[in-house]
Amino acid sequence: MKTVLLGAAAAVLLHITPTVVLVKREDAVNRLLPGADNFAARELHLSSADSKRLHDAVGWEPPDGVVTFYVGKHQDQAIGALVFMRVDCQHGPIELGIGFDPRGTVRGVEITKATVEMKPWIIEALRAGLTDAYRGLALDQAPAGAEKLKPRVGAMPGYMAELTDKGVMHAAAAYRLFYGRK
Amino acid sequence: MLYDLRHSDLRVRWLATLLLATLGTSYLFGAWMVGLYAGFSPRKVAETYGASGEMMMAMQMPPDTTVVTERPVSMAEMGEEHHHVDRDLLVQDTHVHMPMYAVIAACLSVITLGLTAPRWAGLAIITLLFAAPWLDFAGMWLTKLVSPRFAIVTLAGGWAMALGYGIVAALATHQMWWRKP
Repeated sequence: MKTVLLGAAAAVLLHITPTVVLVKREDAVNRLLPGADNFAARELHLSSADSKRLHDAVGWEPPDGVVTFYVGKHQDQAIGALVFMRVDCQHGPIELGIGFDPRGTVRGVEITKATVEMKPWIIEALRAGLTDAYRGLALDQAPAGAEKLKPRVGAMPGYMAELTDKGVMHAAAAYRLFYGRK
Repeated sequence: MLYDLRHSDLRVRWLATLLLATLGTSYLFGAWMVGLYAGFSPRKVAETYGASGEMMMAMQMPPDTTVVTERPVSMAEMGEEHHHVDRDLLVQDTHVHMPMYAVIAACLSVITLGLTAPRWAGLAIITLLFAAPWLDFAGMWLTKLVSPRFAIVTLAGGWAMALGYGIVAALATHQMWWRKP
């Protein structure tokens, strides 16, 4: 009976908390593609070789082999592109929206979803200016949100910044390597 | 019979009743959640757990060269989340759900041990209780790795879970509170 109770307690403790929306996707699109009124989904179905190339570059590849960029346009002029990226950790997934301007630099980053457990850590990281660290980041620059934030925040908000760095790095690599493909 | 639920102490029967009521409530919400995120038809389940969600039929294997497609989308479509469980998320789901399913099956099996029922029936119910989560997750993995046709196995697992709970809850409630010698 003791084992059963301990097992139940462990299962409860290990269970990932539900997902909460921090920023609606529509709001993230408006912030990351300002002025765009016309959108297209640009889906990149990666070959095995390109998946491996991406993996070699950043240690990640899309599990189902597809990366979807949303392209924003105004009067047929490209405003930029954004990609929603999921980053998993033992506390559950977070979802980021990463926007690029037409030159390919990072326009902004929005954290759109997290779990109930992670929400307060992310809010603390955001209050400390996490997403400011990515604005204007070039595609060949390593994201350094965690490095900038860690001296000013607790351990878990710092960890959230590390996860955000990871998501930005994955998105930037996908953009750099494949976005221009015809 | 290891113990007799019918003649057990009031506290044991009360515990079993509350456990069944709580599990029943969580199953109702579980069914609601399945309806929201995965659906009850093989096609919906295959879309959720298949190779790549809505694109699964078109692209199950990586193409020889990277293929780029572009199609117009509305703001609403970008905001709309296609709930798709990819491999990494399924690893996480399996890791966190399987232990919980095992604990639930064990609790219901302990109640089963106290039921007045033939030995074979007890064995069958316990097998059903543990087979259900195995079918559930085996179906998800087979749908992802082998063929969308295996979505039916996940559905069978879900219904088996409901059936197992229904049998135990009905027999236990009847024997604890109505069928007195």
